[in-house]
Amino acid sequence: MSLTRKSFRGGVHPEGHKELSKNASFETYLPQGDMVFPLSQHIGRPASPVVAKGDRVLAGQLIAEAAAGLSANIVSSCSGTVKAIDRHRTIAGTFMQSIIIENDGLYETLPGIGKKVDHRKLSQAEILAKIRDAGIVGMGGAGFPTHIKLAPRDPSAIRYVIANGAECEPYITCDDQLMRNYAPEILTGMEVILSLFPGAEGVVVIEDNKPEAIQAMLNAAAGKNIRILPMPTKYPQGGERSVINVVCGANYGITELPADVGCIVDNVGTIYAIYKAVCESAPLMERGVTITGEAVKRPCNLLTRIGANIGELLEVAGGYRDGSKAVKILAGGPMMGIPVDNLGVPLQKNNNALTFLTGDPVADSLQVQTACIRCGRCVRVCPQGLTPQLMSAAFEKKDYERYENKLHGLECISCGSCTFICPAKRHLTQEFKVAKAEIMAMKRAQKEKEAAKE
Amino acid sequence: MSAYLNMSAGPHARSRLSTGNVMRDVCIALLPATVVGVWHFGLNALLTVLASVTTAVLTEYLFDRIAKRGATWRDGSAVVTGLLLALCLPPTVPLYIPILGSLFAILFVKCFFGGLGKNFMNPALAGRCFLLISFSSTMTNYKYVDAVSSATPLVSLANGEKVNLLELFLGSGSVTGVIGCSAAALLAGGIYLLAIRAITWEIPVAALAVFTLFIAIFGGHGFSPAFLLANLMGGGILMGSFFMATDPVTSPVTSPGQLIFGAAVGLLAAIFRVFGSSADSVSYAIIISNLLTPLLDEFVVPLPFGLRKGAKEGSGKSSFSASMLRPAVKLTLITLLAGVGLAAVFNLTKDTISEQKLQKQIDSYLEVLPGATEIEENDALKAAVASLEGKNYGTSFGKIKINDAVQGLDGSGSEVGYAVNVTTGDGFDGNITMTIGLAADGTVKGISFTEINETAGMGMRCKDPEFKDQFTGRKVESFLLNKSGDSSGENEIDSVSGASISSQAVVNAVNAALDFLRSHVNG
Repeated sequence: MSLTRKSFRGGVHPEGHKELSKNASFETYLPQGDMVFPLSQHIGRPASPVVAKGDRVLAGQLIAEAAAGLSANIVSSCSGTVKAIDRHRTIAGTFMQSIIIENDGLYETLPGIGKKVDHRKLSQAEILAKIRDAGIVGMGGAGFPTHIKLAPRDPSAIRYVIANGAECEPYITCDDQLMRNYAPEILTGMEVILSLFPGAEGVVVIEDNKPEAIQAMLNAAAGKNIRILPMPTKYPQGGERSVINVVCGANYGITELPADVGCIVDNVGTIYAIYKAVCESAPLMERGVTITGEAVKRPCNLLTRIGANIGELLEVAGGYRDGSKAVKILAGGPMMGIPVDNLGVPLQKNNNALTFLTGDPVADSLQVQTACIRCGRCVRVCPQGLTPQLMSAAFEKKDYERYENKLHGLECISCGSCTFICPAKRHLTQEFKVAKAEIMAMKRAQKEKEAAKE
Repeated sequence: MSAYLNMSAGPHARSRLSTGNVMRDVCIALLPATVVGVWHFGLNALLTVLASVTTAVLTEYLFDRIAKRGATWRDGSAVVTGLLLALCLPPTVPLYIPILGSLFAILFVKCFFGGLGKNFMNPALAGRCFLLISFSSTMTNYKYVDAVSSATPLVSLANGEKVNLLELFLGSGSVTGVIGCSAAALLAGGIYLLAIRAITWEIPVAALAVFTLFIAIFGGHGFSPAFLLANLMGGGILMGSFFMATDPVTSPVTSPGQLIFGAAVGLLAAIFRVFGSSADSVSYAIIISNLLTPLLDEFVVPLPFGLRKGAKEGSGKSSFSASMLRPAVKLTLITLLAGVGLAAVFNLTKDTISEQKLQKQIDSYLEVLPGATEIEENDALKAAVASLEGKNYGTSFGKIKINDAVQGLDGSGSEVGYAVNVTTGDGFDGNITMTIGLAADGTVKGISFTEINETAGMGMRCKDPEFKDQFTGRKVESFLLNKSGDSSGENEIDSVSGASISSQAVVNAVNAALDFLRSHVNG
């Protein structure tokens, strides 16, 4: 083993703040309020409801079916009555068609759920079907439908199946807790995936600021052919491209997927869900979520039901600390999390944390914002090897031709490292998000124009 | 509810860095050099620093007010510009020098081009170059505390004198130069900036490496450590590499761009120092390299990791080596080509240059001995010159070297007189080399200058007949300089007004020639 642990080039070291909730063991919490299930909690097309207003549903029952193509099933996580199928506010601040279920608090489950199954006796098609039926999507944040990810064009080309337990985002500790408490289950989930890719090696990557999780995983991996790979604590270590680069040295761009370089990367939460779906016949109903931030009275890690009202979850964590109030609420952590403006929204499949901040570093940074001093720190920290300083200049001139083709701006993964490090407090990542959206919109318009001509 | 929550696009975390504390770090790094400079040179150095910094900040403040563009004077960049400029000034300059320099740097170079981050040249260096051009004599007058004008280490080095390396390193003893001349203090500041990652290694390393290599190859002393060290510690290359060239605004943002930029600084500084005639090599090298920055940022855009096909197959190799190798190889090639080209030009012209020099010298001998048509070497005089071994002649003539002494004959072969070629190091701006024609009885027959770099309109007027013809036809034991311009005595010479240092150097040189001839021809 080498003395220095391998890492990607660039990256930053934001304050971790993980001590707030790091050692708070999982608490299982069954929500009592109404449950809301937006029809799209994943990348792709929204699911179609298979229940109607007034129907009684059980926990684990399919309530919305995946559309054709890229989509995912949605399962009720509680028992109760369908109250409405209507537009509802989501955690991202948008309004979306959602199934609203009046929770009876009984958590009566569908028969057959919890039945132990030996995955070694299942065929690959049966495994994929179970994962699809369970409605599993990438639980690290992206929400990519897992049954599609696990069915690449050429399964024999997959050389690595990587469990991503890096959890490099500040504040969040639910994956840490999951690995500490469910290491054997996660590794069994790994074996389920590996059975789909016989030629692949299993690797679990964990940042070295989680020694307990590393130890738990090492213990559970004893005698198994799965490698536990600690990595230096550095943001964005858990980014898919960073992880793949560390594990096998490969790079890939936006036009490619991890499978194109022979890798399948899944968050440990997703792998735990796969274990539950395949080996315990339980569809995706619950997930780990960290309720944290300086404004929270009792930061904690909850094992709770998807669809729960986030205001209710805040109350489980004791509400606000006496005398303090959240200035900013984030779904996720401070680097890639999205701001929340209303507590009356449901927890989604891909929400790993709720962070309640007492201060807003963005507002504070405006006090010391200056013109760009061209120091090049953004260039040095960019994990994608981009030149944010030049990209920003091109963006400000709306020179998208240069932005896209010369500076390869679309390779940006929006990790926020450049904005974090910038001494002049420029809004780099934010500009790049706008640039990406505008370029994509232009491309769509171009395509439509061409299609109209034909 | 939403009215009470902040909403903004991510990321929502920020580092503690700010433009203000980036500037503060540079000031901290410059502190040792400032303290040593003030301690070494005294009160005027302190006043120069204060005047420069105050003017810089005040100029930015006033421009902010007039242009109504917010309080950019608070960001600390003006303090850095003022401090850097002051440390590049001689310690004895009158206070209008730092004030004008800072004003020019901030107003013309920075504010007029859009303020912080928009200037295309390092403001402090542009200010220094402005002063060098406009006030060249004041800017190159390096006097030590006792007001004796003395040569900077590099001038001494050019004269073949030994330089005290330790004094040069510490910036102590009799070292003269700019306020920030302590190599040790500058190095400490530079290492501090590298350690806290306020600057990157690329620019200083490339600049110093290329500079040293070039000086070693073309400097004429090979890899002599003493010579290389003196060149590295004197003349501002340390200040330039660590503090000026690393100015973020005017250097490239990418790593390969910074390497090429640093190499350009080192190469140009070395070329200017070895072959140039300007008093300053580093300042011009950097501001010229500054002009390359937009070009480097345009052409040296690294390929993003995702598009680097080399590592696609997952060979396990770091993509770092592949990305760094190519610019490094290109850089080496460019440097080598430039070096070879310069060497070729130098060698082609070397012989012609020395022939021309010789002819110039003979012409000057004939010029100062009217009536002479040929020059003959005199064995006794030749031996006497050789016996001096290049040391200063006598004790009362200052830094005088007797280079050559010959006899002049007329067409019939009879003696017209003697010509003595001397160099004085006491000029206001370096060396003055001149030939003095003397009859055998000591009567001055003529004076001619072969090398003089004094201030135009002042010291340069020593060449004018009004001054030099005062000597002609007079036969005295030794001449005396009269600074008030009312000479009456037989041996008195009126000084060129405003250039008494230059005038005194010339008078001393004539006296030395007289003394030399007396002891070796008549004696």
